[in-house]
Amino acid sequence: MELLNKMMELQEADGSVSDAALHKLSKETGTPLYRLEGLRGFYPVFRAHPAPKTHVRVCRDISCAMRGGNSFCRDVASALSGVADVEVEEASCLGRCDTAPAATVNEIPVSGSVEEIRAYAQGETPLPPDEPKAAPAKWPTDPYEDAAHHYGTLKSLLSAGEEKKQEVVETLKASGLRGMGGAGFPTGMKWDFTAKARGEPKYVVCNADESEPGTFKDRLILEELPHLMIEAMVIAGWIIGAAEGVIYLRHEYGKERKALTHAIDQARATGALGVSVFGADFAFELRVFISPGGYILGEETAMLEALEDKRGEPRNKPPFPTNAGLWGKPTLINNVETFAAVPVILSRGAQWWEAQGAGDCKGLKFLAVSGDVEQPGVYCVPMGTTINELLERCGGVPEGKALAAFAPGGASSNFLPAAKGDVALDFQALQDAGSMLGSGAVIYVADGRDLVELASNVVRFFRNESCGKCVPCRVGSAKAVDMLETALAGNPQQNLIPLLQEMGDTLAKTSICGLGQVALAPVLSVIENFSEAAAARLGGSNGGRKP
Amino acid sequence: MTEKQSGQKLISLTIDGKTVRVPEGTTIWEAAREAGIDIPVLCHSPRMEPVGVCRICVVEIGERVLAASCVRKCEEGMQVQADSDDIQQHRKMLTALLLSDYPQQSAREESTGDDELLALARDYGITELTFPDGAAGPEGRGTDGSSPVIAVDHQACILCDRCIRACDDIQHNDVIGRTGKGYQARIAFDLNTPMGESSCVACGECMAVCPTGALTNKSVAGLKIVVT
Repeated sequence: MELLNKMMELQEADGSVSDAALHKLSKETGTPLYRLEGLRGFYPVFRAHPAPKTHVRVCRDISCAMRGGNSFCRDVASALSGVADVEVEEASCLGRCDTAPAATVNEIPVSGSVEEIRAYAQGETPLPPDEPKAAPAKWPTDPYEDAAHHYGTLKSLLSAGEEKKQEVVETLKASGLRGMGGAGFPTGMKWDFTAKARGEPKYVVCNADESEPGTFKDRLILEELPHLMIEAMVIAGWIIGAAEGVIYLRHEYGKERKALTHAIDQARATGALGVSVFGADFAFELRVFISPGGYILGEETAMLEALEDKRGEPRNKPPFPTNAGLWGKPTLINNVETFAAVPVILSRGAQWWEAQGAGDCKGLKFLAVSGDVEQPGVYCVPMGTTINELLERCGGVPEGKALAAFAPGGASSNFLPAAKGDVALDFQALQDAGSMLGSGAVIYVADGRDLVELASNVVRFFRNESCGKCVPCRVGSAKAVDMLETALAGNPQQNLIPLLQEMGDTLAKTSICGLGQVALAPVLSVIENFSEAAAARLGGSNGGRKP
Repeated sequence: MTEKQSGQKLISLTIDGKTVRVPEGTTIWEAAREAGIDIPVLCHSPRMEPVGVCRICVVEIGERVLAASCVRKCEEGMQVQADSDDIQQHRKMLTALLLSDYPQQSAREESTGDDELLALARDYGITELTFPDGAAGPEGRGTDGSSPVIAVDHQACILCDRCIRACDDIQHNDVIGRTGKGYQARIAFDLNTPMGESSCVACGECMAVCPTGALTNKSVAGLKIVVT
């Protein structure tokens, strides 16, 4: 954290991290130059040469491409070409898919037409305010009437004493709460493992680095419900025996960072953080680490590498972070939404939480909705709500069009046909249907869209965000993009479909982490579920391959 | 078993049906080697800490995905399949991917004849490119002839990280690392300076461990290295 923080300070102050600055830093910290170069070259926030006065970043990923068109980034760039001291950069998902097409001007989020973004960049339109909501909405996962009651669950647990610890773990297990970041690991079990793991000190880490195209549900929780996440981290510290927590926050979440910092200050003032939390013999401190950028940092072991001032490349597993995490010590890592669900479960009980789900499904779920839908945004719904019910709640498909397909769990989840719209948004149901709940991002696709193009856009995202550590992901994703682009230009190479299937299999089985494992999955799901559309763009049959 | 290892807890596992007993902490790759089973690998060398990046050494251990045998530790009762049609297919695919970015000529193959990637390609019978040629055209990764003794061909680099470990962990010269990210990642010297202008002391460890034509001995004073 120290080294990367120093480099981020240099970047902030000088607009770049120059060779001269790194030579100085190398001497001051005794860090070899190659390590500093490794960091500068890996993290997108660092620049070797100063940025111009105005830096425009335009999202190129799926939800934005659907709203703004494939040439949106290029159009913004040409509208600003020749303008002095302005640079336009194509960026990976900015986490603002609800206001697609999304862009930032000097890190302030903006959206609108090419002309509107040009006007922001040239200062003709003042940039919108970037402050958190003054009066957040009331969400069903918040057990507190008002701010005066915040941290009540933590307070009552601490006053009840040690014997409550096992009960907390049991309640979490009974609630059926699972990790909401993508993997869906049972939360109670993870807390239990980390509590029992040997090694000191232990750490609590919150993964607030959601960056998958279509995903922005944690952004809302960070802005409107940060107190729940903070409270759960302190409770987790008490349960597992950790005195330190780190929130790993994505770089692009500026106003969310303000809301979070404010909430941490409030927590400290209330007594929920500090050397003696609410007067108990328990110390806990929390700090926010701003990610130097990149989707891969959301992979938990890549995140740990970043926190240890290394290139954010996922580790070979096992060991898992519950036993060997930050600095090799037992570390509890949960996603923002997972932590934020804990206070209401502990205060109202596992049964209450279970009963919030639809049918056999348990609990509540925050979902980020984008794509071809009237009212994109974040919705908190009963787990088990169907794809069609959610679509209705979001106002349906624009212009009265029919739904053609949907990706239920972010860009890495398989595209399913509209005929499966009755599927419940739930871990098991979506897995049975051939996709996944993933990152809690539902992308709706209307009739008339080119699904091969959309899926290729996603593969391109994974290529762009691959860390490059292992061969299958680094080379495989790049070759797949090359071949898909040639096909989209009208010249698919022979036997492309079976070759993509074979590559997809190797990437899924041999890549170190989830990114490489799913890199080709979206396009393979289109080949499988929309075979005619796929054959029209990629040529040939699916090679007569076994299903 | 070496003396150093005696006294450690022994665990049993099977590799391709063969029962093997090894000290706790042994990797699958090491255990296989001890049992006379060769698992192909590009990034690992027994002299180094394994990193598991080339994925050629993957084996089946009954999990959702394959495990890189060079980094995966043996566990009691583990049933390892180090060789099957599926595994061979994956290894061939990974080799073909690397080969698609490989230069026409490998300085290692042409001098000492021991280019490990080309040897694997021969083993798998890969004779033509399956994927778009990444070595052709003007956007290649280039060469670096600035060092008086070591020739660098970035195009032949497969990012196995052997030179990095040789330079930083074995020799403690701390010159070589990775820079860039994803498909743009490559090895770099100091702050990505040409090798000859870096703090490299030309110890030669990097080219000694390099499995490909990326880092090779330069012919000094016009002397040609000939394999006899």
